[in-house]
Amino acid sequence: MTETSAWVIFIAAIFTNNILLTNFLGMCSFIACSGQIRTSIGLGTAVIFVMTMTTMLNYVIYHFVLVPFGLVHLQFIVFIAVIAAFVQLVEMFVERFSPRLYFALGIFLPLITVNCAILGASLFMIIRNYSFIQSVGFGLGAGIGWAVAIVMLAGLRQKMRYSNVPQPFQGVAISMVVTGVLAMAFMGFAGMVSIQ
Amino acid sequence: MKVLLKVFEAVRPTFEQGKLKAFKPLYEAMENFFFAPSTTTTTAPHVRDPLDVKRLMSMVIIALLPSIAASFYFFGLRMVAMIIVSYAAGGAVEVIFAIVRKENINEGFLVTGMLFPLILPPALPLWMVGLGVAFGVFVGKELFGGTGRNLFNPALVGRCFLSLAYPKTMSASWLEPSRDLAGRLLQYVDASSVDALSSATPLALAKQGEFASLSHQLFGSVSGSAGETSAIAIILGGVFLLLTRVANWRTVVGILGSFALLGGVLHYAHPEKVGPVLWHLCAGGLLFGAFFMATDPVSSPISNAGKWCYGIMIGCVTVLIRGFTGYVEGVTFAILLGNIFAPILDEMVIAVRIRRLRSEG
Repeated sequence: MTETSAWVIFIAAIFTNNILLTNFLGMCSFIACSGQIRTSIGLGTAVIFVMTMTTMLNYVIYHFVLVPFGLVHLQFIVFIAVIAAFVQLVEMFVERFSPRLYFALGIFLPLITVNCAILGASLFMIIRNYSFIQSVGFGLGAGIGWAVAIVMLAGLRQKMRYSNVPQPFQGVAISMVVTGVLAMAFMGFAGMVSIQ
Repeated sequence: MKVLLKVFEAVRPTFEQGKLKAFKPLYEAMENFFFAPSTTTTTAPHVRDPLDVKRLMSMVIIALLPSIAASFYFFGLRMVAMIIVSYAAGGAVEVIFAIVRKENINEGFLVTGMLFPLILPPALPLWMVGLGVAFGVFVGKELFGGTGRNLFNPALVGRCFLSLAYPKTMSASWLEPSRDLAGRLLQYVDASSVDALSSATPLALAKQGEFASLSHQLFGSVSGSAGETSAIAIILGGVFLLLTRVANWRTVVGILGSFALLGGVLHYAHPEKVGPVLWHLCAGGLLFGAFFMATDPVSSPISNAGKWCYGIMIGCVTVLIRGFTGYVEGVTFAILLGNIFAPILDEMVIAVRIRRLRSEG
């Protein structure tokens, strides 16, 4: 797998292997925060940034700390701790240096800690044996893919205000149906570039 | 006509108060099919125009006539069976929803039920036609409240579902078109007659470097989905739609223009992957999709700038899917993706406009 270029992995993570629409990771915040386009863009940007940074950090920690000391079985706990610590750090930095961005992101920054897509990206990176550059491409691509998906769902949900959804399907149910159609349409890219 | 009117008048009470009250939507649909309704519109879309939803739909049906005729000519009486199954299965979903939700039956289904068989391989098993159209109407339209409120094109949702759920059958149910002068007007040919079963569409053959002749594609005597093979018939109907302004020219020009442009560039860069532009324009479902599927006023963007972006996106994605993915045809996926992006495109156009107004003070 090491011969695939980072660029290919980047494209694949957005389209063919969209972390949300093919692996269905990060569904909770995807459904919860897609009511409005503005908030979905905020959350999407935050995910792009955190996902890229944490895959890089976790790569370094995994290959230079966990593997040499034979602590690979601790990877889940360590990854989650790294993600949580990183998000806290970012929050403090952003609050200190750019209050405007801090208020724009609001609650979403801390929420990202529990977004399973972030942890998923780090774990995929380990399973698929990516090199450092590939990991960066993957993290950035997966983040952008997630952001694109949530912004699209937010747009559709905003348009759905004019729809007349049957009572049992209102709310989360119809969002799930829309997500299914989204995933169907993204299947069209299958085979364009492929990673595992 | 008077006799018919009397019949309707006579049975009206049974449907309005009597035993068959539950089937009132069915009665009203039948009545409206023959006579203009005496009531005003109660559900969206409301348009202040002599061109109401029903006549809009009739225009599309009229525009489809050349393609329907071509599909009869090349693929025979099986088309009749497919259209009947499509109307029956999709209509059943529509009627059940109307009865349960106590609403009127939407006019939109007339078009969906006709479009759907035209974008399917002509030798597809009939139960799949029924399943596909039922899924498309159910998930693509009725769950959102019916005509005018759907987010996606119902026929495309149905086709996308079929091509993902039964990929083998969907890619192997092509019929060899008849090459006789009389066509197949009086023949019923399906997958059981092996000699008529064809292996591949021009697009699939092109992946192996074999190009069908352009004149065959213009005329329609190539293998492919029932209504998409005859380019001339589609253009005839499409120009009618554009002239009556039922279809927006921006979408059509956006799709075909961007397709030609990107296709041309990629043809010079990767001639082994992307064929000549003119050939690709007439191949597969591109023309049919551009004129009849993408121009659906409900699932495409509302603003004009949004329509341009929407068309350009569909055209580019089609080229990319055709040239670089495992699929030979990408129009279905491309238009569905366009539907998905449509609200965001509108939103972006509005945001840009607001910013411009603000800066002008």
